[in-house]
Amino acid sequence: MAERMLKFVTVERSTPEKRAADARTGDFHEIYADFIDAKAKEQAARCSQCGIPFCQTHCPLHNNIPDWLKMTAEGRLQEAYELSQATSALPEVCGRICPQDRLCEGSCTIEQSGHGTVTIGSVERYINDKAWEEGWVKPLRPLSEKAQSVAIVGSGPAGLAAADGLRARGYQVTIYDRHDRAGGLLIYGIPGFKLEKDVVERRVKRLADGGVEFKLGFEVGKDASLDDLRAKHDAVFICTGVYKARELTAPGAGSKGVVKALDYLIASNRTGLGDTVPEFESGELNAAGKDVVVIGGGDTAMDCVRTAVRQGANSVTCLYRRDKANMPGSMREVSNAEEEGVTFEWLAAPRSLLGDAEGVTGVRALRMRLGSPDASGRQAPEEVPHSDFDMPAQLVIKALGFDPEDIPGAFGAAELKVSRWGTIRADFRTMMTSLDGVFAGGDIVRGASLVVWAIRDGRDAVEAITAYLEAKAPALAAAE
Amino acid sequence: MADDAQMQRYFENRERLIEGGAYDPASERDACGVGLVCAIDGQPRREVVELAIKALKALWHRGAVDADGKTGDGAGILVSVPQDFFADQVRRTGHTLRKGPIAVGQIFLPRVDLGAQELCRTIVESEVLRFGFYIYGWRQVPVDTSIVGEKANATRPEIEQIMLAPPAGMDGEALERSLFLCRKRIEKRVHSANINGFYICSLSAKSLIYKGMFLAEHIDEFYPDLRDERFSAAVAIFHQRYSTNTFPEWRLAQPFRMIAHNGEINTLKGNSNWMKSHEIRMAAQAFGDFGEDVKPVIQPGGSDSAALDNTFEVLVRAGRDAPMVKTLLMPEAWAHSDAVTNPQHQALYAYCNAVMEPWDGPAAICATDGRWVVAGKDRNGLRPLRVSYTDDGLIIMGSEAGMTGVAEARITRKKHISPGRMLAIDLAEGKLYEEGEIIDLLSERHPYTRWLGNMVALDEEIGPGSEPRMYSREELVRRQVAAGLTLEDLELVLAPMIEEGKEAVGSMGDDAPLAVLSEKYRPLSHFFRQNFSQVTNPPIDPLRETRVMSLKTRFKNLGNILAQDETQTDVYVLESPVLTNGMYKRIVEYIGPKNVAVIDCTMPLPAPEARHGDALRAALERIRAEAEDAALRGCATIVLSDEGAGPNRLAAPMILATGGVHAHLVQKGLRSYVSLIVRSAECLDTHYYAVLIGVGATAVNAYLAQESAQDRMERSLTGELALRELLLNHKGAIEAGLLKILSKMGISVISSYRGGYNFEAVGLSRAMAQEFFPGMPSRISGIGLAGLEQKAVEMHRKAWGEAAVALPVGGFYKARRTGEAHAFEARLIHTLQHACDTGSYDSYKRYSEGMKGLGPIQLRELLDWRPDRAAAPLDEVESINEIRKRFVTPGMSLGALGPEAHGTLNIAMNRIGAKSVSGEGGEDRARYKPLPNGDNPNSAIKQVASGRFGVTAEYLNKCVELEIKVAQGAKPGEGGQLPGFKVTEMIARLRHATPGVMLISPPPHHDIYSIEDLAQLIYDLKQINPDAKVTVKLVSMTGIGAIAAGVAKAKADNILISGHQGGTGASPQTSIKYAGAPWELGLSEAHQVLVLNGLRHFVRLRADGGMRTGRDIVVAAMLGAEEFGIGTASLIAMGCIMVRQCHSNTCPVGVCTQDESLRKKFTGSPEKVINLFSFIAEEVREILASLGFRSLQEVVGRTDLLQQVSRGGEHLDDLDLNPLLVMADPGPNKPYCTVEGRNPVPDTLDAQIVRDAAALLERGEKMQLTYTVRNTARAIGARVSSHIVRKFGMDGLPPGHLTVQLKGSAGQSLGAFAVQGLRIELTGESNDYVGKGLSGATLVVKPSPTLSFPEHNAIIGNTCLYGATSGKLFAAGGAGERFAVRNSGAIAVVEGVGANGCEYMTGGQVVILGEVGENFGAGMTGGMAFVYDPNERFELYLNDDSVVIQRLASAHWEGVLHGLVSEHAEETQSRFAKELLRDWDRVRGHFWQVCPKEMIKRLAHPLVDQEVKETA
Repeated sequence: MAERMLKFVTVERSTPEKRAADARTGDFHEIYADFIDAKAKEQAARCSQCGIPFCQTHCPLHNNIPDWLKMTAEGRLQEAYELSQATSALPEVCGRICPQDRLCEGSCTIEQSGHGTVTIGSVERYINDKAWEEGWVKPLRPLSEKAQSVAIVGSGPAGLAAADGLRARGYQVTIYDRHDRAGGLLIYGIPGFKLEKDVVERRVKRLADGGVEFKLGFEVGKDASLDDLRAKHDAVFICTGVYKARELTAPGAGSKGVVKALDYLIASNRTGLGDTVPEFESGELNAAGKDVVVIGGGDTAMDCVRTAVRQGANSVTCLYRRDKANMPGSMREVSNAEEEGVTFEWLAAPRSLLGDAEGVTGVRALRMRLGSPDASGRQAPEEVPHSDFDMPAQLVIKALGFDPEDIPGAFGAAELKVSRWGTIRADFRTMMTSLDGVFAGGDIVRGASLVVWAIRDGRDAVEAITAYLEAKAPALAAAE
Repeated sequence: MADDAQMQRYFENRERLIEGGAYDPASERDACGVGLVCAIDGQPRREVVELAIKALKALWHRGAVDADGKTGDGAGILVSVPQDFFADQVRRTGHTLRKGPIAVGQIFLPRVDLGAQELCRTIVESEVLRFGFYIYGWRQVPVDTSIVGEKANATRPEIEQIMLAPPAGMDGEALERSLFLCRKRIEKRVHSANINGFYICSLSAKSLIYKGMFLAEHIDEFYPDLRDERFSAAVAIFHQRYSTNTFPEWRLAQPFRMIAHNGEINTLKGNSNWMKSHEIRMAAQAFGDFGEDVKPVIQPGGSDSAALDNTFEVLVRAGRDAPMVKTLLMPEAWAHSDAVTNPQHQALYAYCNAVMEPWDGPAAICATDGRWVVAGKDRNGLRPLRVSYTDDGLIIMGSEAGMTGVAEARITRKKHISPGRMLAIDLAEGKLYEEGEIIDLLSERHPYTRWLGNMVALDEEIGPGSEPRMYSREELVRRQVAAGLTLEDLELVLAPMIEEGKEAVGSMGDDAPLAVLSEKYRPLSHFFRQNFSQVTNPPIDPLRETRVMSLKTRFKNLGNILAQDETQTDVYVLESPVLTNGMYKRIVEYIGPKNVAVIDCTMPLPAPEARHGDALRAALERIRAEAEDAALRGCATIVLSDEGAGPNRLAAPMILATGGVHAHLVQKGLRSYVSLIVRSAECLDTHYYAVLIGVGATAVNAYLAQESAQDRMERSLTGELALRELLLNHKGAIEAGLLKILSKMGISVISSYRGGYNFEAVGLSRAMAQEFFPGMPSRISGIGLAGLEQKAVEMHRKAWGEAAVALPVGGFYKARRTGEAHAFEARLIHTLQHACDTGSYDSYKRYSEGMKGLGPIQLRELLDWRPDRAAAPLDEVESINEIRKRFVTPGMSLGALGPEAHGTLNIAMNRIGAKSVSGEGGEDRARYKPLPNGDNPNSAIKQVASGRFGVTAEYLNKCVELEIKVAQGAKPGEGGQLPGFKVTEMIARLRHATPGVMLISPPPHHDIYSIEDLAQLIYDLKQINPDAKVTVKLVSMTGIGAIAAGVAKAKADNILISGHQGGTGASPQTSIKYAGAPWELGLSEAHQVLVLNGLRHFVRLRADGGMRTGRDIVVAAMLGAEEFGIGTASLIAMGCIMVRQCHSNTCPVGVCTQDESLRKKFTGSPEKVINLFSFIAEEVREILASLGFRSLQEVVGRTDLLQQVSRGGEHLDDLDLNPLLVMADPGPNKPYCTVEGRNPVPDTLDAQIVRDAAALLERGEKMQLTYTVRNTARAIGARVSSHIVRKFGMDGLPPGHLTVQLKGSAGQSLGAFAVQGLRIELTGESNDYVGKGLSGATLVVKPSPTLSFPEHNAIIGNTCLYGATSGKLFAAGGAGERFAVRNSGAIAVVEGVGANGCEYMTGGQVVILGEVGENFGAGMTGGMAFVYDPNERFELYLNDDSVVIQRLASAHWEGVLHGLVSEHAEETQSRFAKELLRDWDRVRGHFWQVCPKEMIKRLAHPLVDQEVKETA
């Protein structure tokens, strides 16, 4: 049989159709169309089936990417799906929102040699959506029930991944989340045009159907203390994420109209989910008709600018102190934003916010330049003297990053050790915190990071907690 | 006594190395020149002895000489016992002569230990008396010790003869048999008395053997007896030995009791094992009460030739005559041969096949049983055997023509013996049997055809039929997991086999850990490394020479090999040992369940508290006991199966079960009563099959692999293929794979491979290997029963313990996170590339540290320094510059690499005074001149590989070193092919081929079938390039030390030891993974054995294979290397990211591809490569400094500076690297090369020619020179061609500018690499390799005018025009085997050729005006051939896989043919050619035109004229 793979020499890279910018900015639906079957097969066949799969190396989940690409190319979609889900609890989510250009696709061998990457993310999304459509995604059914139970605090990607794995092994799992919906940032943080909400909801439903108990609107520290949870459960996994927005220190930062990115995104997402959000209704968190300036260059900033476009902003500007090459956000998102009409002010930092306490009217910014590289090799930005410039803004969104909240304080658990940045300290190998039986993972340990890393931590936590629980109840484990 | 001290040190070193497991004397090899002179009438003549001695003196160049210039490797002569001479001796001692012949024993006695000597005499006397002989007395054989070397003298035995009178009335065969039994008893008794140095050369009334460790030319000086006029004989067999060791052991000289053998027995291990089974029944029947005395038939401690002689002799003494024994042991290839058409011959060979496993390997043997004299060849015809008949009834045969110097006028006929055939002379009747006649005689002796009626061709009975399905999908997956299978196994290995009938192909080297170092589960097969041929014997091409290969498998009780009746043929015969599930089922049904014992090879799960390994041992003991019991019960078929594995039962490793049962049954003498069918779940790839068969399985059924295939079909993954096609594909792929594995070690018949343990274990417990695979080397020990059991339990848990199982993805061939570790991993590649791109040594150090952090992958990672002194300041260590000179980029051809990458390496290495190897495939002439910027893009080392692509006189002169690639780490023992799509215009031009047409590199060098052939090639290369050093590239294996010693004696300057990790552009995955050993093992063995033999300081050792850091370099140096090849890392420096798709021509970074658009992606530069080598050198400096050394030279061979720091995983019994670290004492010699320049070789006639042709060479004057020659004048024309090409270039002189006329018998390699301008006219005959690498010269060979019908006579030897690129050869007579092999441009006319003519030819034109041998045109993809075939036999001999034939149908091509025949007639004055021309209109219809299929569409002139077609 002729070689089915290695088609990059003859087949150009192509991604699923992207809706034109003007057609997509009117709604919050995902901008990429689905791959049609033939296209997925063709694109997957471009894979070079490398001796060393750089894509896998650079995937936090170490997905067996070449293998499911091969299966896809050969039309063995169910097998492709099975391989894909074997290493990832939320593959269709990763396929949508991973910054593939910085991970798998960015390291793709044929990308490195200038042939254009294999469209790994699109294929991942395709095979897993297909699996949902075709009913290949099996209900969660543990082979046998175990008596031990685990509390998972936080229903974001780490929590969902951990719940999936632990429940499959038969443990009793309860997820606690302070929000009224499960999914964490997946449901409230990430805009629908990147990740439509039913994608998250069906995952949550599968867990619930499989016996995972969800206690929503439950705030640890208020509704129960950490000690309560520890008493009730055999193990606790803390994966609350990092929610404390970094503050802007410029004069005028307290003005009305200067908002936190997450507040802004949550309001937008809630609205999209049909909730009535007063701050949105009032216009406080609605960009419609306004000049919007978003400060920051990460993926959250990109989510904000593109949300603002969709809300009907008059203008949307992104202010970032380094240049395009040095921004932390995904390049793919930047170009999406550019297509959608966002203005980027590179090498610019806010100096002060114009207007008064009752309402911001603009942003005064300073030009920056990149200085000499620091120890990490990254060039530090420095101010260009006398380079002020102003731009109008009625809504300024602070997307400067997130820090951990005070978890020991909030949870009433002073003995829970944290780092000097406030992240929870967990053993590198066992994932256990300073408290016996309390584990932690995801952003609350790593600091703000990617969804895929959170999933990785969730999966690792399954192994760590299993090992812990088996050691704790060897007789029980042996009986099974 | 300097020599005594030397001998003392030799013995101590030898003992130390043997004890340390670094050296096994059984690995020593020998080869040689051989021949005989015989009076057909059986009447003794003095001339027979004289001619034999003369011949021996003319064969010195086929032997080797020790450093003392006097100690030879051995020479000897077997003559008929000169009765008159001994009658005089008897009379002189005062005895009266009794009736009957005098029997003479030629005996080596211990010389120094007089007590032992006396005891030996006593034993001899008491035994001969016991047999009823009368002792005339002892005679001290006169010897002249002054002419033997010091070493030989030190080991010289006391040489005496005992003269006996037979018991009254005993004569002839009965007498010889009695003497044989008597000798056997003497040997036994001496052995049990623990006496060394005793050996009976001969004890016979017919044959007497004089031999010893002197130079062949001194034989009659050492033994003055031989000059005695009374020494006359009817037959004299002589032998000149070339040995791989230098230790002079007198008993190892040949001839042995019956034969003299040139070549090597590749199947020795299997043959010896089977003889152990056969001899039990045979001995009892043939020798009755003396049965025990003849056992073991094969004497331990002998060479392969000695073992063959032992077997030959016992079969003769058991009542078979020499011609029949030769036929049994070395039958002609008959199964697939169209040439063996006589059904009676077929029946004879089929009978032989049913009786005995052939002794396979290159062989020319000359033998006598006293009455019969035979001389014959192996089935492949791999050794030369030339025959001359004199007008007075003598026959002279041997390795070379013209040895005896008999006047041409006396010779009436000259011929070659054909492959597999023989001449036989019955001295009693005084009758000569020609090749056909002797087989007629043998086949008529018994009703073989009728006997064959008993033989059941099993294939007809059991297939095709239904193929059952056994397991549900879920159970299948569990069983797959339990058997250690992965998705990768199914997708990458199984899928291509079932879908395309082909084995998976991969590229680059094996960078996964050795099985013993792996943390993952590895099947037992991974611990077995396939053996392969290099230097001392050739691999075979299983694709193009299929007709000699056979997988025919005998079933049932094999009976007594001596039975000459129909019971012998009461066997089942299968075409191959590969069984499908259905076939297995039907076999059991057919044989009848009563006669089949199915043994369950599973066991209960070991109790958690039990000691590891106990349960497995108990299970294996049970299995062996059950097998023994079944055999004793009379079950002729035993099935070993692990099918019973399941949730509660664990499978025993089937290789262990099979090996255990086989070894056990052999030991009990039961093995030949039964057949073993093995059903294994783990068995999936060809290597696994090979291991099972190699450790004793008769047939194999890989039931789970088949289930997996059927499962794929049911899941619609196999396209349109029907089940039958699928299974046939699978079976076909495995069979082709088995043939490949057999052929790579030169074995053509599976029955001789079975149970031969043709592997070496890397990482198996020595004790376990000894028990289950006796005789298989396992040098470093490793995993044992305990570890195997633990691993099996682990896999069992995974498979049956979890709720849901999924197949693991794998990661053995290609890296996967959850799979096997790989030495190069993604981040380290980027770090290294960053370092090379930016010149950052810090980055390099991060890479190097990262490498260290990977955990053990290769043996060297278990070693660390053991400093013996304080550190030295870094600035005192030799410079980067000095160290870099020791680096080499190993042979990667332009063809594998893109031209940019190839050129970049050359430029980089030249800039730093290091060396790059061209690889196989020529070099662009444009590269011979520096670039305008001063860069030199020419490879310093030019490779000479088996394809000889682009190997011209010019190519050979444009370098400082020539590398003979004998084997390649990634696929030792295999050839290669460059598919048509990779043969671009440029590649085609460099390789003298046609664009788009496939090019084949044969597995062997067709001019190296034996060690003396290698010596000849080295000699030839040193002639064509008077300055270049010659390197021989070998692949690491156990026994390489002996080979390296042989290579050193062949005057090589460098020896390269390649590890199995070495890369490749395309090889079968099982070859990349399972052949060859780590360089650590081979390098240390080569180094130590060279030191042992006092040869180390004559050669430079180089190593390569997966070296990537300074640490690797220093370890290699300490293990003995002086120079270092770095391949993969240098590619990575140029941008390679190990996509491992080199074989697909889709390298995305443009390194390893010919695709124009991909080549544009190449980003490498010489600077990056230089950075890599500078970094490595700097790291070497740092290590040296830390160890307190100032140069790399100081640590060469210093294994005492290394220590083992890890013994591997906890589950291992032991992992003992001492065999690497044991050190021989070099005495006064250095443990590194001290030769300045190169090792000199003797001058040839060309030295004279060059002197005489001064006018030409200095002023370009036209000249004509005349000489007489003998066979000792070799490579005539090569040296003068070197002068011409250097002075005038390849085409600077017009053809025939220098004419050299020769008369006589020219030595080998006449006109090798000879260039345009040179013309050689030889009247007489020539030996092998005429026109080797011919590069433009004209060679004319015509017979002496006294020879009648020269067209029916041999005139040139084997392998002529091998690798010729241009020029002409006209020979008025027959050529030997393999004429014009790999010819890519020369034009030739000859009057007959032997087997394998025009094989792999890619260009040129060949006209054959006479008969051809078998397999003509195999793998011929270019050029054109014409064959005159008046007897309509040509089609029988044609291999039409790649060529078409037709009658002349084009005026153009007929014109070409006519022109060539005319030119031939004119040049050689051939009467025959002239007659053809005269009769052209009549004979033209008897010509065939042979054209490669691929060429038809590319011909400038079509094969058929348009008008001819229309009228026809």
